[in-house]
Amino acid sequence: MAYQPKPPDGWLKTNLKYNKHKGSWAWILHRITGLGLTAYIYVHIYALTTLTQGEQAFDNEMKLFTTPVFKVLEWLLFSLVLYHAFNGVRIVLVDWADGAKYHKKLLTVVYGLGVVLFIGMGVLMFREPIANMFASLR
Amino acid sequence: MKVTLRIQRYNPERDSEPYYQEFIVEAGDDKERILDLLHQVKWKYDGTLTFRRSCAHGVCGSDGLRINGRNRLACSTLLRDVNYKKPIVIEPLPSIPIIKDLVVDMSDFYKKYEAVKPYLVNKSPAPEHERIQSNEDAEMLFESAKCILCGCCTTSCPSSWSDENYIGPAALLKAYRFVFDTRDEAADERLDIVDTPDGIWRCHTIFNCVEACPKDINLTWHISQLKKRVAEREM
Ligand code: HEM
Ligand code: SF4
Ligand code: SF4
Ligand code: FES
Repeated sequence: MAYQPKPPDGWLKTNLKYNKHKGSWAWILHRITGLGLTAYIYVHIYALTTLTQGEQAFDNEMKLFTTPVFKVLEWLLFSLVLYHAFNGVRIVLVDWADGAKYHKKLLTVVYGLGVVLFIGMGVLMFREPIANMFASLR
Repeated sequence: MKVTLRIQRYNPERDSEPYYQEFIVEAGDDKERILDLLHQVKWKYDGTLTFRRSCAHGVCGSDGLRINGRNRLACSTLLRDVNYKKPIVIEPLPSIPIIKDLVVDMSDFYKKYEAVKPYLVNKSPAPEHERIQSNEDAEMLFESAKCILCGCCTTSCPSSWSDENYIGPAALLKAYRFVFDTRDEAADERLDIVDTPDGIWRCHTIFNCVEACPKDINLTWHISQLKKRVAEREM
């Protein structure tokens, strides 16, 4: 009697079970940030619809965006842009230059530049409000 | 010393789902190979344990397995290559059908390999001796020609997991092997075969294949050469 082979697990379960290394994390992060940025574009366009509701509505919304919560969200959005853009350049180098031979070094550069620019942007964005906070404590 | 193997079992005559079984085996030192420990289980404890192997020396490519979560050859993996303080998990290659225990159905893998015409195509009459090739031209093929068709790469590839029609890194490597062979005349035919959404463009440069390959072949680099060649053809 012939027996049917057992069909394999689905793609999600296989992804979760298989060992991750630097390259797999780079890909997972790239996809998450790519989808995150795409979702953000829709949120962004939706936010701009207040433009059709008059000056007052738009100004109110812009004020909301200057609150600390939105500032922090903006900063986090910047981290998605940083990673996706730099790793995107890394992927282009892997595909069109000999990047496949030094992709782990490239990844170190991507993470390094990303962290430095993320912190730099944090300093630019929050230096004044934090300084003001300490000034008011004194 | 004692080492525990946690082996995935599946008997199609009896089981509806695979399950794990632990065996405690005796290892001389940390240079012992996983394959020898599997032999010990089969020969001393349970003769029904089923796995493939033939050369036992990394040449035939028949004992690709998932060992502690990643694909490798049982005959080329030493105890010291894995964490043997905890049970060593041994499973069949992922994402292809299981026939029994650690034996998987490789037919689809071979079909995709055949699809890229894995042989020299040259219509001109054969010379008296071999078709001459310069050292430099031959060197372009050395790395890709080391492949032993074990399937560790293709079954480790997330693109293969989510797209069963993806031709996979092993077949693409073989396409490179002949596309970049100066004696071959069918490069264009092969490029037509790989220049599809289920061909080179399904590769998202994840490098799982490179991590898995027991012959240290940089598959992603070879696939990138195919991508470049296809793009150059368009320009
Ligand atoms: C500097 C700008 C950008 C660069 C260099 C870049 C680069 C790339 C590259 C090379 C890929 C292909 C990845 C792969 O083969 O797997 C990709 C995928 C993607 N990108 Fe971007 N991108 C940029 C900006 C954006 C923006 C602004 C968005 C969203 C609005 C976005 C959304 C996506 C999505 C959804 C994917 C698919 C993810 C995937 O295939 O894993 N990208 N990007
Ligand atoms: S580099 Fe390409 S072929 Fe290799 S595992 Fe990643 S997606 Fe698959
Ligand atoms: S490229 Fe490496 S992993 Fe893939 S089949 Fe050949 S030897 Fe095995
Ligand atoms: S048994 Fe031949 S490669 Fe391992």
